[in-house]
Amino acid sequence: MADVATAAAVASTATDLASIQASQMGMKAVGAGLAVGLTGVGTGVAEMGIGAAAVGAIAENKDFFGLGLLFTVIPETIVIFGLVVGLLLLFS
Amino acid sequence: MLAPKRMSRLLIAASRDQLSTVIAELYRHHLFHIEEYVDSGVDGYEGFRIGTPLSGASEASTDLIKIRAIENAVSINAEDIESKAVGARPELMAKIERELPVLEREVEELTGRRSKLETRVKELEQEIQVIKPFSEVPFDMDLLRGYKKFTVFAGYVAREPTFSVPSEVYFAKGKEKSFIIVIVLADQRAVVEKALQESAFLAVQIPEESGPAQKRITDYTGQIASASQEISEIAKKLDEVKTKHTGFLVACEEVLRAEVEKTEAPLRFATTRQTFVAEGWVPIDSVDAVSSDLEKATGGKIYVTVIPTDLEHDSVPVEYNNPSFAKPIQLLMDVYSRPKYTEVDPTLMLAIVFPLFFGLILGDFGYGLILLALVFVLGSFMKGEDGQQFLKVLRNASISSVIFGLLFSEFLGFKLPWEPLIFSRHLNIGGEATGHGAAIPELMVLSIWIGILHITLGRVLGMYNHAKQDHGEHRTKTVMANFGWLAVMWGIVIAIWSYAAIPLMPDLRGLPAIMPGVAIGYIIGAVLIVLGVVFIARDAVLEVIELPTIISHVLSYTRLVAVGLSSVAIAMVVNFISIGMFISPGLANLSIVGIIMILVGVVIFLLGHTLNVALGILGGGLHSIRLHYVEFFTKFYKGGGKKYVPFGMKRRFTED
Repeated sequence: MADVATAAAVASTATDLASIQASQMGMKAVGAGLAVGLTGVGTGVAEMGIGAAAVGAIAENKDFFGLGLLFTVIPETIVIFGLVVGLLLLFS
Repeated sequence: MLAPKRMSRLLIAASRDQLSTVIAELYRHHLFHIEEYVDSGVDGYEGFRIGTPLSGASEASTDLIKIRAIENAVSINAEDIESKAVGARPELMAKIERELPVLEREVEELTGRRSKLETRVKELEQEIQVIKPFSEVPFDMDLLRGYKKFTVFAGYVAREPTFSVPSEVYFAKGKEKSFIIVIVLADQRAVVEKALQESAFLAVQIPEESGPAQKRITDYTGQIASASQEISEIAKKLDEVKTKHTGFLVACEEVLRAEVEKTEAPLRFATTRQTFVAEGWVPIDSVDAVSSDLEKATGGKIYVTVIPTDLEHDSVPVEYNNPSFAKPIQLLMDVYSRPKYTEVDPTLMLAIVFPLFFGLILGDFGYGLILLALVFVLGSFMKGEDGQQFLKVLRNASISSVIFGLLFSEFLGFKLPWEPLIFSRHLNIGGEATGHGAAIPELMVLSIWIGILHITLGRVLGMYNHAKQDHGEHRTKTVMANFGWLAVMWGIVIAIWSYAAIPLMPDLRGLPAIMPGVAIGYIIGAVLIVLGVVFIARDAVLEVIELPTIISHVLSYTRLVAVGLSSVAIAMVVNFISIGMFISPGLANLSIVGIIMILVGVVIFLLGHTLNVALGILGGGLHSIRLHYVEFFTKFYKGGGKKYVPFGMKRRFTED
């Protein structure tokens, strides 16, 4: 009888462990998703104003194209950081 | 290399009768950057005036305007045409005199007729718009106007109105609105107007036409068709003119532009009644050739001398001085800003590092080959100078992409038949990855190493630039400030090494502790940081608030890995969806459904990879150049140099 009880206890611990690991993995994935998604929103908000101003400036003077493009991608760093965090969460 | 071409300031003085000879000689050399004379009482230039154009200037300009008008009319753009010499100046000038008036008349007549026809088509379309509401009306349109005792209303109503006075009504029920014509005695119009208003009446204009409306519309449509026919015939004739005369036109434009530039050059010189003086810049190694040729051409009746350059006050024009493989990337330097004459020209570094970064981001053998093919195809469309240079930049980047693809063992997201020679980027998507999977921490650290070294190089160059450009106490301060930034960065790095073990980086945790818990690494790091902050603050206190950028700039280099991995991930996901979810099941079961699944899979594969190539060019290109512009150049590079524009032109369509 005792053996059966022990075996059941071991089995339930194993399933518990598996489910805990699975839920941890799930939380990691959620975290990674939030990191990329929210930073993406942040970058978008930041680029909104710059992009509009840059297009205006390019309409005035075409030579501004290169610099305008550059200014527009500067907030891209934010989403890159998000992506880095996401990758580290998922793969390391 | 690493510095712009050295220039000498040349002063040329001669008597006025040598003016055209000297101009022709300078133009031929295409080396003399004219320093424009401004009539503002410069020392030593008392009594000088701005010169007047040589004879023939206005004729040449008029002809040039004519040529450009014709080119516009038949849409020729010299940029898009392959360089090919068609003839020498004298014969072209003769040809211009002979053929230009005829050609001008021909093109003018064609374009004139075309614009008249286009106006006519517009008028007819407007007429049709007016008649259209009446197209279903079964009586002639003359019946709708010309009355003295009656008033005619025509327009759309929302519902059928009822009138309490005698009236003649035509009502055509429509889906949303109905068309109505009401004819009523003029003195009872108010009653009708009121009733109409109640049914939401929207009046339309009564056309000044006769006969049934439908017939008029058919008639006008016919007229429009014939006018359009005529317009397309004219377009065909203009096309014929284009194919026949393109070579002649672009060559003429070039000859005339040269003529105008030459005849108007004296406007940039200082002149007196008898003499003229021209100042300008010539690359040092060409000074002898230019001066001796000028003396030969004028038979020695000229005074040419080199004036010493004053780097503080002269704005010396800047011409790049790079080995040929680095020339295309000058395009990207000019997008940022041309270097100043006195600072380091980083073009060579950009030419080496930009393709490396691009390859690190888009390191895929297949994509690299696709980009190379794209460069090849675009090469036959983009004939302009800038376009060609851009393609060369893209070509170098793609070659780097191919090489990194072989190292990463990647082909459109698949694995090549060998293990990655450097760190693997194969993610575990769709259970495809074998071996150890992606070495993401190692790749991240690698990119941070690149960042640290790149920024260190930038700061060292910054120290060099300040040492070269500044003077006195300021010079010491700025050089030390740059050193301070370096010290803070390395201090942070050493402190981190003493705290944690990081793959691919030295582990300083084993260093002996000075006091319990305080390893020597911390001390070194702290000293470097404090020293650095002091140096920075001595130059400009406010700069201290910029200190966090040290970390964010270094971490910014992780984009080399992050953007690259996202491109790998997209490729692998596309492969998994198209092959794993459509093509393989389709192949397993070759029924009609199976074949459809295979086709869908192929479409997804093509679309997905096309998208990823486009993203790859944008991501790889923009991020690589941005790392240079924002993280690298801000450490040392000011730019703002004046472009070297030598007097003369690169002949594309004419011979000397």
